[in-house]
Amino acid sequence: MSDKAAAMLSRSEASPPARWTARSNVSPARIGLLALTTAVLIFLPFVVTGYVLYIANLLLVFVVLCLGLHLVIGETGQFALAHAAFYGIGIYTSGLAGNAFGWPFPMSMLLAGLIAGAVGVVIGAVALCMRDIYLALATFAFGEALQWVFLNWDKVTGGPNGLRISPARLGTLEILSDKQAYPVVAITTLLMLLLTILISRSRLGRSFRAVRESEVAAMAMGIPVRRAKVTAFGLSAFYAGVAGSMFATFSTYIHPDSLGFQTTILVLTMVVVGGLGSIAGAVGGAVVFGLISEFLRQTPSYQEIIYGLILIVFMMYAPRGLFAFIHDKAGRVFRG
Amino acid sequence: MTLEVAFLFLQQGVASGLIIGSVYALLALAIVVIFKTSEVPNFSQGEMVMAAAYIALYLLVFRSLPLWIVMPATILLAFAGAALFRRLILNQVARANGSPVNLVIATLGLSYVLRGFVRQTGFGDTPRSFPPVIEPESILIGQASVTTLDLVILATAIIVMAAFFWMFKYTKIGRAMRAVGMNPKAAQLVGVDLTRIHMIVWGLSGAISAVAALLISPKVLMTADMGSIVTLGFAAAIVGGFTSLPGAVVGGFLIGIIENLVGLFVASRAIVLAPFLAIMLVLVIRPQGLFGGRVEIKKV
Amino acid sequence: MKCTATRIFWGAALLAAGLAHASSAGAQEPGLTEKTIKIGMFSPLSGANMAYGLDVVNAAKMYYNKINKDGGVHGRQIELVIEDDRCNANDLVSAVKKLVEQDQVFMLNGGSCSAAAVAAKDYVVRSKIPWVMLNASADGALYPPTDYIFGAFSISQYAVGGSVVDFGKQHLKAKKIGYINHDDAYGAWNLEAAQETAKQLGVELAVESINANITDVTAPLIKLRAANPDTIAITTYAKPAALIIKKAYELGITKPIVLTVTGTANLSQLVENVGSKDALKNFYVQDVLADVPGGPKIKWVYDMYKESYPDLAAKPDHPQAYMPYGIAPAMSVVKALTDAGPNPTREKVAEVLRNQKFDSGVMAGPIEFGPNDRAAQESTIYLKFDGSQQTLIPGSFKSLWKYKG
Repeated sequence: MSDKAAAMLSRSEASPPARWTARSNVSPARIGLLALTTAVLIFLPFVVTGYVLYIANLLLVFVVLCLGLHLVIGETGQFALAHAAFYGIGIYTSGLAGNAFGWPFPMSMLLAGLIAGAVGVVIGAVALCMRDIYLALATFAFGEALQWVFLNWDKVTGGPNGLRISPARLGTLEILSDKQAYPVVAITTLLMLLLTILISRSRLGRSFRAVRESEVAAMAMGIPVRRAKVTAFGLSAFYAGVAGSMFATFSTYIHPDSLGFQTTILVLTMVVVGGLGSIAGAVGGAVVFGLISEFLRQTPSYQEIIYGLILIVFMMYAPRGLFAFIHDKAGRVFRG
Repeated sequence: MTLEVAFLFLQQGVASGLIIGSVYALLALAIVVIFKTSEVPNFSQGEMVMAAAYIALYLLVFRSLPLWIVMPATILLAFAGAALFRRLILNQVARANGSPVNLVIATLGLSYVLRGFVRQTGFGDTPRSFPPVIEPESILIGQASVTTLDLVILATAIIVMAAFFWMFKYTKIGRAMRAVGMNPKAAQLVGVDLTRIHMIVWGLSGAISAVAALLISPKVLMTADMGSIVTLGFAAAIVGGFTSLPGAVVGGFLIGIIENLVGLFVASRAIVLAPFLAIMLVLVIRPQGLFGGRVEIKKV
Repeated sequence: MKCTATRIFWGAALLAAGLAHASSAGAQEPGLTEKTIKIGMFSPLSGANMAYGLDVVNAAKMYYNKINKDGGVHGRQIELVIEDDRCNANDLVSAVKKLVEQDQVFMLNGGSCSAAAVAAKDYVVRSKIPWVMLNASADGALYPPTDYIFGAFSISQYAVGGSVVDFGKQHLKAKKIGYINHDDAYGAWNLEAAQETAKQLGVELAVESINANITDVTAPLIKLRAANPDTIAITTYAKPAALIIKKAYELGITKPIVLTVTGTANLSQLVENVGSKDALKNFYVQDVLADVPGGPKIKWVYDMYKESYPDLAAKPDHPQAYMPYGIAPAMSVVKALTDAGPNPTREKVAEVLRNQKFDSGVMAGPIEFGPNDRAAQESTIYLKFDGSQQTLIPGSFKSLWKYKG
């Protein structure tokens, strides 16, 4: 048994198993909280400036990116590090579909997700026999190679000139501001979030987690391990593609510079710091880290050091993520 | 392209590839030795090289110390810094018992801190260099043009690698490291002090980074972002098999040669793509890299 | 027992709390009072590209301070709001949106990174805000021309590439030029102009495009040597440029080498990095300042810097090489505000800018906009550099690239 497997096992013993087991009962309180969340999201555009809505849009894009990475890393335990590439496929697909054919955005969004998902399935199938670090670095290499393609396929992506994205449209409606884009982005995020919760509670989600905990045991239980892995890859890429398309609804320009490993690492950091393996962690990590990053913009000269220290301190003292940390501390206070 | 030109290109590509490849090999070695014993891909390896280069710059140029003091001083400082990071930071992260990826994120944090710190000194923006270990003079090997400095880099890299292999294979501490790499629990049972071994491993990795920094800074120039060169070290490590030390060395030379040949025979703009294609190609054909051990299946 | 939904709720609450900075109501013409006018600046103030922005902002800031001390513009003191754009598209757009919607600035004066700056183009044009860039070339935002965006105060990349080919042909009598550029936006723009100019002048180009992170430049140079050009033009950044010049010397390439302004930031450091003055025996640099750094024509800029930022000036490598580039954009803003009269509107200022022409005394050529021209500065000078001395080469060398719109 490897060190890693040992660490994973000890982790699953230590943490409350309830977090991963599917629940069939949905309590009224929970529905109420979800409704409140929705209400906050609905209320937001009426009280804040366009700048804040832009930040909100961007954060929500990262929420969906994190949900996607959560599915493949958090749920299935497969270290896929090509997320920015799938995100890029989503942006370019929906940008090009809009520019060239004037497609309505729901259609290009679906197309973006499907194309990214299809590429994800192919990559997943190719990477089936790789594990751990090999998988991580193979997908890393794929991501970097794809960024190179974005930069050098001038005819399609505009290459180093970047690509101007024409406004997203639906019928006669054109999205020209962050305020207009916000409902689209927020609703899409909520849908993706619901989808994640559903997947997580379904048979599929259970098979993902079984693969994460032990492939051998999963196989012994009759779970189609290969199919589960490829599905997780495809789903994760689908999320990234949709996130890219969301980005294209409120952005007017994309340059390959922002589609490199940096972005993948940022998403990974969000997922891990939020709390690997939990949906709330993925969402919370994206929101909290997005905000930290935006606030750090105000302290220019020290921000790299501060950011680095935040990562280190979190890993030292909040190893199970932000939310588990708050939960533990709060629990201790209440218990006296 | 005439046959004659193609032959010249081939010679130059292999010669230049071996030289730059020896540096990639050193970096790959530093990455692999840590991964072998603690399963952490060290994302701050590049910044360790960068920091060592700046330590050398400071001592050599601003403190005007002679090279024979600067070289061991830099290597020692890098050893101590890396070992302390393992002892003070990563030990706590490991004890906190989160997911294994937490260790990776902590090394990522270190890379930000080091870069930010060097930028604070004000020396991080303009590309710099310090006097090389010897004055480069061009010489021809066949039709390939290399410099004396290049040959020194290659020779030093090979010596360091050889010393490292010897240590790993024949010394007590090297055997302990291998034992930890194979099975940490069992190693602990037979009396190996895990904390100490991890510290030494990180220290060695830091020292190798310092050697790489001393060799290449005059050749590739230093900025606060020079750590990105480690991407090629990772490429070398993965092509070689990531857990194999000889694999890392062969991978380094391979990546160096591939880069040069792609630049010469395909296009200059494809140079950056070459290592990634090499990674994908190797892993698709042999999922554990060229020299990696058998793929192990996690058992319950 | 916390459950998923609870956590999501707390996440959302955090989101709302973090974002619900109150929005301030806008006046008739934003950022304008009887006594003040608010200008939004943005540039990389952190990270890898800080050298392109930090001191450029400082230069503009000290110029604005001087104007304020002299009584301001039409009695209004200039107020600056400065944001870090990290040289990255998403952060730049969020800086711009914050300045416009939250800080309610009257106009924008920012941008040092070309590809990132282009990302704000559509938003600025839709919001109808005059935007005078700092030292970004950002040709992608200048062509096709818009009513509100003005840039290339250091130099348009289209001028960089075309002019260096003209210099090679005229001064160095080259029939074939080896041309090394980057594979990024900068490189694409200067190569386009170089190719157009070469075509018109009947010069052959041998092009090698390299990545800015390249560690081994042997391959492109061996290929160039095989192509046997009469001169080599390098339009890369400082680090690859030093590597190329050094390697060319090691490979025994003795042809003249011309380095464009993209890589000339710190020439004394370049000499150290190349390692030998012999490598610079036949070496020329392109520049866009009116004088060599610290030279008599622009000495006042360096003096003002030392006076304004004594602490920074004491640090190594300060002022950063691009510092003087911040002066001309600030001059342009002040001049436009002056010319727009005591009751400026954004429209009026944009209109004035579209026909602006003045000599900054800092840059090599005049700052000049026109009907189809939003690139401020298109002149370059050439200097022969032997490792210590720079000698000006007489003559004017122009890009023949024209915007076809």
